[in-house]
Amino acid sequence: MKVLSALFLIAAASAEVPPGPGMQAKGGAPGRFIGDPMAIEAGKESYGLVCSGCHGVTGEGGRGPNLVTAPGVQKASDQELFGVIKDGIPGSDMPPSPLDEERIWQLAAFVRSLSAPAISQNVPGDRDAGRMLFYGDAGCTNCHMIRGEGGYLGPDLSNLGLTLSLGRIREGLLDPNNRFAKGFDPVVVTLTDGTRIEGVAKNYSNYALQILDRAGRLHFLASDDAAAIEFLVDSWMPADYPHTLSGDEIQNMLAFLSRLSLSSDATPREGAPQ
Amino acid sequence: MIRAASSFLAAWLAAAPLASQVRYEDILAAPGEDWLTFMGDYSANRHSPLREIDKSNVANLVAKWVYHVPQATALSSYPIVHDGVMYVTNSNEMHALEAATGRPIWVYLHPGVEMQRTNRGAAILGERIYFVTSDCQLVALNRITGAAIFARRYANPDDGYFCSVAPVAIKDRLIVGVSGGDSGIRGFLAAHSAESGEQLWKLWTIPGEGEFGADTWGPKTLPWGGAGTWMPGSYDPDLNWIFWPTGNPWPDLYGGDRPGDNLYSDSVIAVDLETGEMQWYFQFTPHDVWDWDAQEPPLLLELEIGGQMRRVVVQANRNGFYYVLDRLTGEFIRGNAFVDKLTWASGLDPHGRPKKIPGMEPSPDGKVVCPTMWGAANWMADSYNPDTGLHYVMTMEACDIYTSSAREPIPKIGFAGTGAERQSRLDGQFVIRAFDPATGRRVWEYPLTGPTASWAGTLSTAGGILFSGDDDKHLIALDAVTGKHLWHFNVGQTVNASPITWARNGKQYVTIVAQTDVFTFGLFSPARSSVAPEGLHER
Repeated sequence: MKVLSALFLIAAASAEVPPGPGMQAKGGAPGRFIGDPMAIEAGKESYGLVCSGCHGVTGEGGRGPNLVTAPGVQKASDQELFGVIKDGIPGSDMPPSPLDEERIWQLAAFVRSLSAPAISQNVPGDRDAGRMLFYGDAGCTNCHMIRGEGGYLGPDLSNLGLTLSLGRIREGLLDPNNRFAKGFDPVVVTLTDGTRIEGVAKNYSNYALQILDRAGRLHFLASDDAAAIEFLVDSWMPADYPHTLSGDEIQNMLAFLSRLSLSSDATPREGAPQ
Repeated sequence: MIRAASSFLAAWLAAAPLASQVRYEDILAAPGEDWLTFMGDYSANRHSPLREIDKSNVANLVAKWVYHVPQATALSSYPIVHDGVMYVTNSNEMHALEAATGRPIWVYLHPGVEMQRTNRGAAILGERIYFVTSDCQLVALNRITGAAIFARRYANPDDGYFCSVAPVAIKDRLIVGVSGGDSGIRGFLAAHSAESGEQLWKLWTIPGEGEFGADTWGPKTLPWGGAGTWMPGSYDPDLNWIFWPTGNPWPDLYGGDRPGDNLYSDSVIAVDLETGEMQWYFQFTPHDVWDWDAQEPPLLLELEIGGQMRRVVVQANRNGFYYVLDRLTGEFIRGNAFVDKLTWASGLDPHGRPKKIPGMEPSPDGKVVCPTMWGAANWMADSYNPDTGLHYVMTMEACDIYTSSAREPIPKIGFAGTGAERQSRLDGQFVIRAFDPATGRRVWEYPLTGPTASWAGTLSTAGGILFSGDDDKHLIALDAVTGKHLWHFNVGQTVNASPITWARNGKQYVTIVAQTDVFTFGLFSPARSSVAPEGLHER
């Protein structure tokens, strides 16, 4: 419990929680819930009712700590996570939970999914079909690299499963304009001689700009080399995948992306539901 | 179900990357405007042809930028510079900076590594930049984007290893070594494919049972004898051999369980780049009980000795003696003490073997011996200026009280046979010295103030300047001919690395990595007033 001291706050403790998916009794074994998409979904619903007031709608903090990035959450065992939600943290604003144990496990599964590396989630779907889509019709390698192969304007995906949660990967795929990865602000720069550079801003200040263009050229500019810079509202990444990909294709893509890792040591969590 | 990608994306496919390739031939010709390998050049001379900064203007050097490395505590990285980008390593991470401004372009954090040990730098080849993680993975990144290409584990931390070495890129391969010798490992050197990361060869620096040299150990120590390989070596392209230094035997301070010479600890080994076969070895400190590894730079020079030009390997060794070896055979040519405080040996015999003075071994009650465990020299960079003919070495004058223990040697728990400590805080001083390598003669010296807690070394330039970190948190510039002080700057942090120099758009810069920050200097020029482009603040 010490690990998680002061990490959680559960407000609205008396809120009524309607039944959700995955609510069958499962005997309380954490392995049955952690990583289970149904349980995560059910936990998400409970979270919206009893946790988001303090920890934020996306879990990224508010009055309470950020559950996505907090090292204490990431390092805590599943049982410790369950314990803190169940019992609260005495002496803090984090109260004991009014939920039954099954719902608490679902909540723990959801909180774990916020920050757990996607590779530990055993995301369902046809990974090979996702790979074919990635390298084929979806055109992802126009901008993204995996193991050094691909384009320049999107973040490297080689270690994606180790470094991002499933939620973040899903967001990146389906809602790329919601946030841009650091160093990937889409820009169009017009130089004083009229030359136009399209790319991403690796860095910029009042005095200097570092722009990577679509061909992999780095442009190091003093600010007065540029007449104008336009930060684009939309990412270079297509935002229409929710419409152009079927539900199965999205799931297959997530199954593929969530397992990307350079490390041969990284294996999906044993015993997690398939 | 999917429509074709947007038209502009399709157009991008036609655009070929224009990143300039770093070829083996470029590294062979370095340094020039770029600094392409840990030592700057394969000969470990660390002499730059850049001459914009010279004796007439070095006093006008000013700080150009400072880059802070978050989470850093003791940076030891020698940067690589290529095509306007500087690459600096910390434990398990790489930072790519615009060299002229210090602004970060990308930062790569290798995921999943809990071990955090020092890191000495990177290697560059083709479109890739390479480094090792603390837990001994050789990592390849795209140098433009920092995208990961492969991570190949080459040593297992469960066997006592950790890794800090800057890889050396030669032709199609990377040479890497291992650390951990102070706690028991079986040292080795390895070559890996730059393309795939596959291991091409592996050379043990401790013999296997029954092999030549195995009888120079004892049964308890042979499997864990140490002889780490954590300092980058040098390379002779004509011979196609690398010259790599090896670390001390284990347990460091107690030799009772390893009664022989303990091959190939404390040596320089000549190794065929293609096959990994050892061509010769020269051991500086047989049966070392003072932790005097040989991780000092092995400089490749051509010297006139006895009326003949000789291709030699030169090393100012941690044990206090200066050695000149024949590069082809490893034959000892000449040597001499290069520090004044040296009490463990009376000299070198005709084969270069030290004439040990009895009774100078560490003891349970402590024995005062000079030089210190830190060494008369260490892994700090040396440099050699062909114009002055001088070899510049960061030396230390000091002694330690060495203690030992006959405790059962247990590997991988940090047991080193006990250790050494200074008699008094006032006992010890770094001195930058210039030697004539052909004779070993000390031509000039520049004593430093400070707590003897630095790992800073030297850099030579064609501008006649010797740059160095000092022991008192400065970057300094000395006259390469006379050792006279010309300039200094207080970086406010202990300096654990050695300076490099490079140029961009015709301007020469000097960079040094200190404890937590990277500092870059250049000649003063008035700052250009700056006008932010339209739209910069409209996001």
